[in-house]
Amino acid sequence: MQISDQAILQAVGRFSATRGQGLVANLLAFSRALQQVGIKVSLSQVIDAARSLTLVDIARKADFYIVLCSNLVSEKPDIALFARVFDCFWKDRIPEEFPLALVEVLTIQWEKTRGKLDDPDGSVQVVAAKAASQNSDRNQESELPSFPTYSLHEALNKKDFSEMGIEESRAMSRAILLIAAKIATQVSRRKQRAVKGEAIDLRWSMRKNVKYGGEILELVSRKRRIKKPRIILLCDVSGSMDCYSRFLIQFMYGLQNELWGVETFIFSTSLSRISHLIRTRDIEGTLERLSSRVLGWSGGTNIGSSLYTFNREFASTLVTHRTVIVIISDGWDRGDTGLLEQEMRNLKRRCYKIIWLNPLLASENYEPLCKGMQAALPHLDLLLPAHNLHSLMALGRTLQRYCQINLL
Amino acid sequence: MAIAVSHQKLTIEKIQEALRKQHYICDRSLATVIYLSITLGKPVLLEGEAGVGKTEVAKVLAEMMETKLIRLQCYEGLDANTALYEWNYPKQMLRIKLEEVYHEDRKAMETAIFTEEYLIKRPLLEAIQGDGATPPVLLIDEIDRADMEFEAFLLEVLSDFQITIPEIGTIRAKTHPYVFLTSNRTREIHDALKRRCLYHWIDYPTFEKEYEIITTKFPQLRNLLAEQICTFMQQVRQMNFYKRPGIAETLDWASALLALNRHELDEDTVEETIGCIFKYREDLHHLREEVAGKRLDLDQIRKESAELCT
Repeated sequence: MQISDQAILQAVGRFSATRGQGLVANLLAFSRALQQVGIKVSLSQVIDAARSLTLVDIARKADFYIVLCSNLVSEKPDIALFARVFDCFWKDRIPEEFPLALVEVLTIQWEKTRGKLDDPDGSVQVVAAKAASQNSDRNQESELPSFPTYSLHEALNKKDFSEMGIEESRAMSRAILLIAAKIATQVSRRKQRAVKGEAIDLRWSMRKNVKYGGEILELVSRKRRIKKPRIILLCDVSGSMDCYSRFLIQFMYGLQNELWGVETFIFSTSLSRISHLIRTRDIEGTLERLSSRVLGWSGGTNIGSSLYTFNREFASTLVTHRTVIVIISDGWDRGDTGLLEQEMRNLKRRCYKIIWLNPLLASENYEPLCKGMQAALPHLDLLLPAHNLHSLMALGRTLQRYCQINLL
Repeated sequence: MAIAVSHQKLTIEKIQEALRKQHYICDRSLATVIYLSITLGKPVLLEGEAGVGKTEVAKVLAEMMETKLIRLQCYEGLDANTALYEWNYPKQMLRIKLEEVYHEDRKAMETAIFTEEYLIKRPLLEAIQGDGATPPVLLIDEIDRADMEFEAFLLEVLSDFQITIPEIGTIRAKTHPYVFLTSNRTREIHDALKRRCLYHWIDYPTFEKEYEIITTKFPQLRNLLAEQICTFMQQVRQMNFYKRPGIAETLDWASALLALNRHELDEDTVEETIGCIFKYREDLHHLREEVAGKRLDLDQIRKESAELCT
């Protein structure tokens, strides 16, 4: 999400209380301001930055900048934002406000602190603690950022799924089984000991044969471990996806019941976790339960805030570097596109792959022009059609090829 | 902090100058980061597009410090055995067999086969076990290719610079090696590891820097051609290619043009040597289209560089 100048000014202004008490205090205020705009900065980084500042001539703005940047920023996308906060925070204050004498004072203070870490006068600690407590006070005051939603009243439509044909449902289950199997057998590069395998595990063979006095009688070999990715389904069930929802529910149901470690979420204006609702063999009952319990079915769409909720509440526990995220949506988003973009980026960072299934992709002249799709596009590993059984089978083949290219 | 004391005479300017002597042109920001890293004893995480000279930094620094470069190339599945140490099992086994013939003291043999003689040192152990006089440069290349398990393990090694081998004991680094990690950002590095490092993003070089680099590397290259090459590369990088060429490609190309004894970039020359810059069929095709469509105007480039030279 693009952070406005206003937000930066606010962040900088917020920590003005800690400023003006020497370079260390200013540095802390600066790092808090960085945190405020979303750059992750740890105290150890700030301490190292303070140490670094004693080593260079901070009257040179370029050096001053690079010292702070290399210490406090740890990923490329943050550099531009860092530069903006830097300009705003240290504007016109270099070098007037930091004469070299200050550096000497700082160095002495720093030496003192380093000598006796538990020294109650150690300025770094004191200022750090002060700033930290101020910050935590503020955090309590501040509320979680709220995000606009498209419709305040979620449509509480009760969906009728009874039209689903048995024949169709079975064919679907078979197709899903195929896809599930393809996805489930990614091969890991990490080797596992096995009785039969591709290569001999010398280390373990030796170990095992110690009991025969070192004569090699038994060989232990290694083979590639099957890596089972977790799959998380994020399904759009908003009004615009209405005509596909019958298919979607089967897909979710099928995948979750064929594969271990699948979590299913649905979203429209808000997000709900429905894994527990569809963890069953009884599809009729499942459909019944879903339509009666789940809010927001056939409502408007806010992909951004749904992803925001997902990233904040579920991602830390559910998403690992092995997780494949499958988002099923047409990309018609009424929410904040900036937020969608930001949350897609956050999600991409955490997971292994993001696959977007878009039913609209089926029509030949479709181009991902709508705002939501545009925002999400750069962060996708795959964008695939998903509108009928045939496209689903094609998806299975694509996934197979895709996984081979990337893993072997 | 032993390191900080021994390098007090270093300055940012000196580093920049020394690297230049090794034919590595770096801007002041990179030199500052290197200086901080040496003085603070903190690893550097270098990121940037492929071919901008991330790996090269560690190589030239090793030459500059007159110390050895220990390189650990990461890949998925890299584990502690390949990165740290492994017992030389066959050799131990042979020793046991020999001793059986001579009936030596069992106890003595047991201690004998778990000594350094039977230890295969892998890069990390080698880096830590330096003699202390000249700490080596440890280059952990493409850390993003290794998996999370290895990253966690690396974090442990980098935080203490000590390794415990159960049979021998703890080996502690006398002086910290200069550690450089590189990443191509194919996946996110864990926060804990990033926090331990100084971060620097190496961008594509500016025209002036690129010009300086190729003329330093190839002093025999004519100024006119160097100008043309740089202008060409700068323009190409603005365009939408699948894999944008880095400085490594520029150098390859310059050396190819030298070998072919070309003094000017005309369409035929570009066509013949295009393989130095682009390695994907789509990109080759795209470049030809751009050249033919005059969006990448070779005449214009020649004219501009001629003006620059006069």
